Amino acid sequence: MIRTVNLSKVFKTEMVETTALFNINLEVKKGEFVAIMGPSGCGKSTLLNILGLLDNANSGEYYFDGIEVTGFSERESANLRKGNIGFIFQSFNLIDELNVYENVELPLIALNVPLSNRRNMVGEILEFMSMGHRKNHFPRQLSGGQQQRVAIARALITRPKLILADEPTGNLDSSNGEQVMQMLEQMNSEGTTIVMVTHSADHAERAHRVVHLFDGQMVMERIDKVFEPAL
Amino acid sequence: MITQYFKILIRRIAREKIFYSIILANLAIGYAVFILLSQFINGELSWDKQNSNYDRIYRLQLFMDQPENIVKHTWSVAPALSRHDLTGLPEIEKIALLHDVGDNNKNGVFLSPDKNNQFMTRYGYYSDQSVFDILTFNFVAGEMGKALLQPNSIVLSRTLAKRLFPSCDALGKQVYGENKVTFTVTGVYEDIPERSTWRPAFIIPMSMFKTLTNWTNYETDYWGYSFYTYVLLKPNTTSKSVDDKIYSALKEYRKEHHPYLRPLSKLHTNPFFETKINIAITLFSFISILILLLSSINFINLQTANASTRFREISIKKAVGFERKRLWFQFIAEALTLSFIAAAIGLLIAQLSYPLLNKFLGADLLTGVTGNWRLLTLIILVTFITGYLSGIHPAYVISNFNPVAALKQKYVDEKSNGFSLKKLLMTIQFSISVFMLVLSFIVYRQTNYMLTMDLGFDSENIAFANIVTNKKGTIETLRERLLQHSEIADVCVSDYIPFILPGGDDLNLIGSDPNQRVFVRFSNVSYDFVPTFNLKIINGRNFSIDFPADGNKCLVNETAARLIGENDIIGKHIKLYNKDVEIIGVIKDYIVFSAYSPIEPHMYRLVPNAITSDAIYSVRFARGKEKAAMKIIRDEFGQFFPEDAFEFQNIRNLVENEGAVVAFKAFRKICGFIALLTIIISSIGLFGLVLFFTRRKMKEVGIRKMLGFSFGELYYTLSSGFVRLMIFSVIIAWPLAFYVYTALPGANKYSIQIWEFLSATMIIVFVALATITYQIIRAVKVRPVDILKDE
Repeated sequence: MIRTVNLSKVFKTEMVETTALFNINLEVKKGEFVAIMGPSGCGKSTLLNILGLLDNANSGEYYFDGIEVTGFSERESANLRKGNIGFIFQSFNLIDELNVYENVELPLIALNVPLSNRRNMVGEILEFMSMGHRKNHFPRQLSGGQQQRVAIARALITRPKLILADEPTGNLDSSNGEQVMQMLEQMNSEGTTIVMVTHSADHAERAHRVVHLFDGQMVMERIDKVFEPAL
Repeated sequence: MITQYFKILIRRIAREKIFYSIILANLAIGYAVFILLSQFINGELSWDKQNSNYDRIYRLQLFMDQPENIVKHTWSVAPALSRHDLTGLPEIEKIALLHDVGDNNKNGVFLSPDKNNQFMTRYGYYSDQSVFDILTFNFVAGEMGKALLQPNSIVLSRTLAKRLFPSCDALGKQVYGENKVTFTVTGVYEDIPERSTWRPAFIIPMSMFKTLTNWTNYETDYWGYSFYTYVLLKPNTTSKSVDDKIYSALKEYRKEHHPYLRPLSKLHTNPFFETKINIAITLFSFISILILLLSSINFINLQTANASTRFREISIKKAVGFERKRLWFQFIAEALTLSFIAAAIGLLIAQLSYPLLNKFLGADLLTGVTGNWRLLTLIILVTFITGYLSGIHPAYVISNFNPVAALKQKYVDEKSNGFSLKKLLMTIQFSISVFMLVLSFIVYRQTNYMLTMDLGFDSENIAFANIVTNKKGTIETLRERLLQHSEIADVCVSDYIPFILPGGDDLNLIGSDPNQRVFVRFSNVSYDFVPTFNLKIINGRNFSIDFPADGNKCLVNETAARLIGENDIIGKHIKLYNKDVEIIGVIKDYIVFSAYSPIEPHMYRLVPNAITSDAIYSVRFARGKEKAAMKIIRDEFGQFFPEDAFEFQNIRNLVENEGAVVAFKAFRKICGFIALLTIIISSIGLFGLVLFFTRRKMKEVGIRKMLGFSFGELYYTLSSGFVRLMIFSVIIAWPLAFYVYTALPGANKYSIQIWEFLSATMIIVFVALATITYQIIRAVKVRPVDILKDE
């Protein structure tokens, strides 16, 4: 699904160069659940952003579903993200001016899905997330857990091939965090590839594989569960 | 998708009421000013448009080769040009010759409906019947096609008809004029609209001209420049071919004079072909665009500054796959929507305020937009363009957000040093504000100067009246009786007085080159004209009763003395209509007609206190005694001219109602209004900008406070950037304002002073600093722990 070859990322300012990632070689198979861990500032989120085509690497190669996407333009990246990659963030990142229904609908609008289809699809996913009764509410009217469920619904609505989750339970209490992890596991069991950045060792254990980063480099890889890719 | 954009916008407006109120108020004021100034310009450009033959109507004018600074054009022309040179030309469909009844520069003539009540009426004209084929008159009574065919006909404007016959129809009634002339009303027409070059109150047939004026050979006269001619060209012809044919029509009489046709469409805004632009229209167009530009720049700055609140929305949209083009479209659509909302508010403000503004300005300069589809179309177009262009930069900035940083809710700062579009826009904003205020001050001072300048004669304490009489003799006894009263200082008689423009002719000194002629206006005055008007003799002497031969002498003004070209002109002779006239004195220049126009050469002949059939009697009274003096004057003149109707008024009325004075008074008010609006718009823009600027700097403020920085040091940190831009803006604004001052037209300009620039700049700086200070005080009061905790 995903393969990086010697991926590196350097942040440059006028005075300082910071190497965020160095020679990252990562492969994630289709349907795999990979957790990325490491101390703050080790490059986890940077790696996730590159995998999500929100940022470009300075060197190395990145293959998404067999296509080399290194150096894709913004337009090409946007086109690839549409329908293929879903994002879940620590701070939910819902749009305040849109209600639950409208937030979830956004990826479908990006794909130019007709209105009547959108209605059905959004309705289904909200019911699945037990948020159907809140579809007209705005983010500020929801709890943290509810907001994250809406964010997950938005990430899933296009049935993407890949979900990138950046500390999805970071702003939640343990109960809500557990719910989110269960949802991620369920998605994964249905075939969605998931790459999740986390600080929680407990949550990392739920993945097939944990990758450790330190100072921008992969230092360790631990297989927690056996992953058998679908044929 | 578009519905989603509007939903987001409406919900944002509901959430951020203050911000959007600022944005909409800023733009709405800009639009309101633009619309009002467009109304003024539209009004100026819509003169005479009620004429159905508008594009084919021309007025005959003359161009005169003269030394510098002399009015070179006139539309008072010789009648023979119409009757002889224009008649028969294939390009011309109709010609109408016109002449004042009496002198419309003076009090007018007296008309009476019943031989008892006399109504002084100006703007009566002799005219050919063909005038109704050229210009559009809407007759409400009588037959237009025959209205002036019979002698002793008279057609009245509706207002005059109502004035003379308030309780019955005027059609068919008798109207009694001066000198026992009786007219029959053959038509009543709707009042000619105010925005018309020619607005007669009544018209009588040109066929009566010979009888009533004794000018029997006028139709072949090439010397009498007191007629007006309107011409209707045939379709698909141009005036150029007519101009070419009549260019040398006066070569046998005055070869420096060249007739030409001027189109009706230009008579108000640009009556003479040398002036390519109309200053008022150009200046106000420029100002209206500047004000709109100022509002637009505010809009751009505010939207861009507010961009940080759109991070999350844009980043999510990018993350889910929205292309930049789509985001761009969203923000352009938002900008256009805000622009149209603001334009609607601005239009409402303009429509509600223009009647009040007309009252405030003392003139109906603003027209409103109701029914004016051209103006409405212009407003819609400008709204669209303004919205679109104003939206480009914010759309560019916002759609180019780096979603990575934005999703982490880290503000993506622009470069703090070096060039940035925002700094450029702010500099332009300050520059426009300073420029507008300096310009307003300059124009205010200039108009003030013109309204208060020393005119060179006593313009406060003189009463005058134009009296048409059959009485013969002199005014000596009347003068003696008047001077017995302590309230009366002096009395004179003349055919013209200051601010009533006399005619003139080309003259030169005997013995000089006959081709060196100068156009000189002349008046006939009595002995006491100079002392009555408090004029000064600066060379030679005034007319005197001790010199009986003064009847063949003349006085000239300084300008005439200079242009005729003699160092010592006293004793020299002028040729005037085959008479040899000696110059005995030079009068110090005074404003003869308008402070706006250059002083022209003037000559004065003596009329030794004689009563003439049509003259102006002027009485100077003691300062502070006007009321008592007016009673004395009316009583004494009433006894002396018992058969004749007249009305005395203070010469101040002439001065204050002179065309340029009225225009400049209105202009002065407009400039004050624009200055105030400039300050308001600048304040609004600054308020919003500083609000966002200080918000962005909150982290820095928190850290500096935590480290113990004082309020003064924090103030300097937050304000120094703005102050630098203000200094830079002065470098742009001052030279521009000075250039406009030099380009302002008019003969009399006040001396510009540095304090106008300084005070205008200080006002803008003060307003800016007050706005900044208010925001900084609020920002600095926040506790560091609250700011840093959020970080």
